[in-house]
Amino acid sequence: MKRRTFLQLGGMTAAGALLAGCQAENEKLIPFLIPPDEGVTPGRAVYYASACRACPAGCGILVRVAEGRAKKIEGNPLHPVNRGKLCARGQALVQELYHPDRIRQPLKRSGPRGTGTFTPITWDEGLSLLAGRLKALQRDRESDRLALLTPPLQGAMAELAAGFLRAFGSPQHGTFELLAPDWLRTAQRQCFGAATLPWYDVAETRYLLSFGADFVEAHLSPVHYGHAFGRMRQHRDTVRGHFTYVGGRMSLTGASADRWLPARPGSEGTLALGLARLLLDAEWHDAAALAAHGLQRDEMLRHLAGYDLDRVAEETGLPAAAIAEVAREFASTRPSLAMVGEAVAFQSNGPEAVRAILLLNLLAGNLDRPGGVYPAGGGPGPEQTFSELFPLIAKMRDGGIKVALIQGNPVHAIPPATGFQAALAGVPFIVSCATLLDDTALEADLILPDHAALESWGEVIPQAGGRAGVVGLMQPVVTPVCDSRPFPDLLLATAQELGGKVAAAMPYPSYLELLKAVTRRRLDPAGGSDFAPVWANLLRQGGDFPPLGDSVPDYRWRSDAAFPAPARARFAGAEQEFPLHLQVYPASAFYDGRGAPFPWLQQLPDPMTTVVWDSWVEINPATAAGLGIGHGDLVEVTSPQGALRLPAVLYPGIRPDLVAIPLGQGQRGGGRYAQGRGGNPLTLLAATVAGVAPQPAWHATRVRLTRVSAQGELVTAGHPQGSYRSDLLGI
Amino acid sequence: MGKLTSPYRWGMVIDLDRCTGCGACVVACQAENNVALCDKQQIGEGRGMHWLRIERFWVGTYPDVRVRFLPVLCQHCHDAPCEPVCPVYASYHNPDGLNGQVYNRCVGTRYCGNNCPYAVRVFNFYQHEWPPPLADQLSPDITVRSRGVMEKCSFCIQRIRRAKEEATGEGRLVRDGEVQPACAQTCPAEALVFGNLADPHSRVARLARSPRRFQLLEQLGTHPSVYYLKGGGREHV
Repeated sequence: MKRRTFLQLGGMTAAGALLAGCQAENEKLIPFLIPPDEGVTPGRAVYYASACRACPAGCGILVRVAEGRAKKIEGNPLHPVNRGKLCARGQALVQELYHPDRIRQPLKRSGPRGTGTFTPITWDEGLSLLAGRLKALQRDRESDRLALLTPPLQGAMAELAAGFLRAFGSPQHGTFELLAPDWLRTAQRQCFGAATLPWYDVAETRYLLSFGADFVEAHLSPVHYGHAFGRMRQHRDTVRGHFTYVGGRMSLTGASADRWLPARPGSEGTLALGLARLLLDAEWHDAAALAAHGLQRDEMLRHLAGYDLDRVAEETGLPAAAIAEVAREFASTRPSLAMVGEAVAFQSNGPEAVRAILLLNLLAGNLDRPGGVYPAGGGPGPEQTFSELFPLIAKMRDGGIKVALIQGNPVHAIPPATGFQAALAGVPFIVSCATLLDDTALEADLILPDHAALESWGEVIPQAGGRAGVVGLMQPVVTPVCDSRPFPDLLLATAQELGGKVAAAMPYPSYLELLKAVTRRRLDPAGGSDFAPVWANLLRQGGDFPPLGDSVPDYRWRSDAAFPAPARARFAGAEQEFPLHLQVYPASAFYDGRGAPFPWLQQLPDPMTTVVWDSWVEINPATAAGLGIGHGDLVEVTSPQGALRLPAVLYPGIRPDLVAIPLGQGQRGGGRYAQGRGGNPLTLLAATVAGVAPQPAWHATRVRLTRVSAQGELVTAGHPQGSYRSDLLGI
Repeated sequence: MGKLTSPYRWGMVIDLDRCTGCGACVVACQAENNVALCDKQQIGEGRGMHWLRIERFWVGTYPDVRVRFLPVLCQHCHDAPCEPVCPVYASYHNPDGLNGQVYNRCVGTRYCGNNCPYAVRVFNFYQHEWPPPLADQLSPDITVRSRGVMEKCSFCIQRIRRAKEEATGEGRLVRDGEVQPACAQTCPAEALVFGNLADPHSRVARLARSPRRFQLLEQLGTHPSVYYLKGGGREHV
């Protein structure tokens, strides 16, 4: 008997004996032996189903609401994308709602631009200011001088924005998203004929080969693929899926890999074609798949003549034996699948490299089969949001835009080298619909604050992470905290103020009515049945989750598709002057910066570096030693575009010729928690690379490092070099 | 005697082969349990507040380098080093096998934190604040701890109590999977599994019998309620 048990029994016997005289049972005694649990008062709470818009993955959420306040966000178990799971960013949405620095009412600029001096005004004043400017445009027959800037829109919201612009008479709608998977849609269209995003059956695969696809932190649908990854590893009785990661920087995703191939930046496409050649040479390819897609082995081998193992090994900087081994494993461990991600796509030769990897899947017979890749993973989407930005910037620069209506934070999330920020400064009237005084709102003349996600109606269509037409519904879970108005309702109210043609084109009393109409049209095109119970049910379950259809669209390699031929990667900056490659990547807590205002995410230690409340530059320890840089030193990173001072993190999982900086920090605004913290690496990037068509080439800039001082003021939650105790723990 | 024996022995299994180190559990725990916000200076002093942390280990040098993640939370030891040292019985063992902490008994000696080999107890060195309206997000189920009080993971005891009350009302035991702490609920890869180890058929008990099983600092004889499953493979890295 343990000492504790003995004492408990002893105490009870004694007390029982004492009480035995007056009370037969000892029930009354027990509450004193079980102490009250730490002040817990279990209460009843209500859960509302909604959808997350913290990133384009569009997971379903359940919000726990008690006493009229949102308390906790959980994943919606019914939602097919995230199945009850949720990432750190999704849970922090509650801090968007209750952020202490939210814009509480409309503001009008009262000092010079960018100084953050604003005067509070009423909504009537704000709306008439905006409508006044727009009416002036109409009067001067300059309706096309209104520009709308938003993230990519979908469903009812896209319809509303398009309707507004059409009725007003402006074609200027910029939809920019730094990490948008446009490149993947383009590659899919060129290879298979439809601009869709693929769906990867990671859970059932036996060999996962990721070319820079960081599906745990940012790629396409992190929660969906994170869940699938867990199943791939340990859900099947006898199979443990193998994972190989290709990329110059070991990302959070790469950290879970069994094998890491640190290929030279820009050589990933060559590696994919080298693997393809090894497969075909040894006849490990899937002959039936090749025939079905109308491809000939001999002809492909002719295209691949230059990709012999020695050349590939030399160009990628990888051992030839490792490449040969991966080829053999990829071909023989079926079903296998290859993913391609941002680390590859944002190189100057990204588009061709992505296609090479799609071809690799075809060769191994991985298309349209369990454990493989389904090219038709979601509906078609935009492809050219980046290149479409340039004409808009040019127009702004030439004075062709008089009013800019902005939702989102493009001033922080567009690389300044594109000239966007400079051009925007020349726009006479900027309206921002922000929830916080972010970098864009600071530049604005008028701020008409938007609702937080948890106060809004809306539609969230997941960009990937499923094969069926999933539509998540956002519903308000609390009464609005501030005197704000949802962005779509602002458009409707503006249309009413404008009157005439514009008001007639937008006859909806509120966005909610439009949303209902669009949903009704989608679910019940005939319009016969009673919609009220259908709508109530949609709200209860958090959206419309149709079961997987039987018919999977048949995707075939286009007969006119050119054979992928990635050129040698080009970089901005001469190698002698700028010896290191730069990779920028979405910090797992901040994505492209929209997580940075929330204190939970700021104090969440970065998984790989354990840094808190900061941004940093990752350097291979050997490179750092050569430059005399120590952990935590302040370092100046210089590119042809600019310079940035950041603390150094010695990072064993990165190539010696590569440095990496996380995205998201370096905001001038964004509330007390984000403001003035870290640096924004987008300021270092070149907008385009010489000799390459405009495309997002965020990894095609070279930099050099100089040590500034020992005062990097870096704070890490863990030991900087990792704890030595791992050996003791046996993990 | 029957009153002293609980049908529950709550425990957790953490599968390191599934864990990707993403940090979703860390934020879920902060959100559920009103864990304080800490600024850079406080964390720099080693006075950050977290009930669950993810340890990161680098092993080897480039290019043969690998990373291991290890989520560490209160191990809810059955022979807990933190319990006997508390002079005021703020740290106690409850019949379900949980290692409890009674905040209003705690006088802040920090003996328990000192004696914990897993370093999972965190002390409120500061009076932490939630600038309004951020305080509206605080859960009404849990007290907000003031300065001078020790706190730690409770396996989300408020959720366990809620489930037990519901089950008792229906005259049954808590079903497997009915109650989950916030960390296990949100874990995208399902690396964390929580349940009743006293029920041999529960998912957690079945996983805890895995040959990959180990416990943290097993040699200390603390008999933790948390089992880890070794990550497999990764031999080529």
